[in-house]
Amino acid sequence: MTDVHDDELRARLRASDPAGSLPPAAPHEVARLLEDVMATELTTETRETGTHGRGPLTWLVAAAAVLVIAGVGFFGIHALTGSDDVATTGGDPAASTTRLDVPATGDAKCAVPSAELLASADVAFDGTVTGIVGDQVTLEPTHWYAGDPTDTVVVTAPSKQMQDVASGVEFRTGERYLVSASGDQVSLCGFSAPYSDELAAIFAEAFPG
Amino acid sequence: MDESRRERFEAVAPGMVEPLRRFLARRTDAATAEDVLAETLLVCWRRVEDLPDEPLPWAYAVARNCLRNAQRSAHRQERVAARLAAQPTVEPTDPGAPDDTVLDDALARLRPDDAELLRLWAWEQLTPAEIATVLDITANAASIRLHRAREKLRDQLRKIETAAGHEESREGRRP
Repeated sequence: MTDVHDDELRARLRASDPAGSLPPAAPHEVARLLEDVMATELTTETRETGTHGRGPLTWLVAAAAVLVIAGVGFFGIHALTGSDDVATTGGDPAASTTRLDVPATGDAKCAVPSAELLASADVAFDGTVTGIVGDQVTLEPTHWYAGDPTDTVVVTAPSKQMQDVASGVEFRTGERYLVSASGDQVSLCGFSAPYSDELAAIFAEAFPG
Repeated sequence: MDESRRERFEAVAPGMVEPLRRFLARRTDAATAEDVLAETLLVCWRRVEDLPDEPLPWAYAVARNCLRNAQRSAHRQERVAARLAAQPTVEPTDPGAPDDTVLDDALARLRPDDAELLRLWAWEQLTPAEIATVLDITANAASIRLHRAREKLRDQLRKIETAAGHEESREGRRP
């Protein structure tokens, strides 16, 4: 095709430019925006991740920090996450409880559940939901595939995220689930689900011990 | 060092705001565009040392990524909100484009990558080399793909206009 044709095509595209009628931003607004941008950096300068807000690092640190298997106690890493995380449990180190969180971001790509992938989970168990209070789901494990066995497991998620999870795992009192977690983050995408023989077989294969 | 960062950003950023703003207005709703613009500028500010001499295509690439992230989380939120409220909260914000429905249809029939190439070429008025920076491909690939995308768009336009009869076919479009 000739350039004339290209020009014509470009002109036609330009004629339907949705921003064609967009008036330019007022100079003072641009100036304020840029000032805001430059000011923002000063408060987040210490972040090395290059991502704004809760980047992956935050979640890694949070994951490291919040995994509280009672009896292990608290550790200093928690301080790194600042005030974002509310410290779990006031004490009672004798109670045997595993605490898990539901990850806030669900945009990780889902892989087909396989024993190979599952084998990297830090926590995996077969358990029954004994109660749901607010954003806390309590499960009573009947079998531990991985992780240090505890009497109960409490999965915590802000309600919004709980809803998100509900698409994958809908916790109901009295029902049996297979749950896995990396760090303290519940694995979604089919790695945690209502009990089924198929998934149980994958769990068993992943953790032959 | 902070001062030189600031100097560089202040020299470059004002010229980028308007093109970025338009880039986003063409691709999303007003509220998202505003958020993503701020986000994009923030990335540019943080990575001011990485800004190339010709920063705009690079900044478009950043904006594209930020927009994709924003849209991903927006979809997630919509899903959650829809479940909570048991009613979909769809917000179709069509940017107020002049009606060339034939063109819109033709663009919609192209692969998204091809359509985006054409938009970058026509709306952002980028050269193939600049498009290459935005899409993170080689200049050669951009050039070839752009050529093909134009061909495909012309094909689609022809098909639609032929199918639609005579009213919408334009003078001189037919051989």
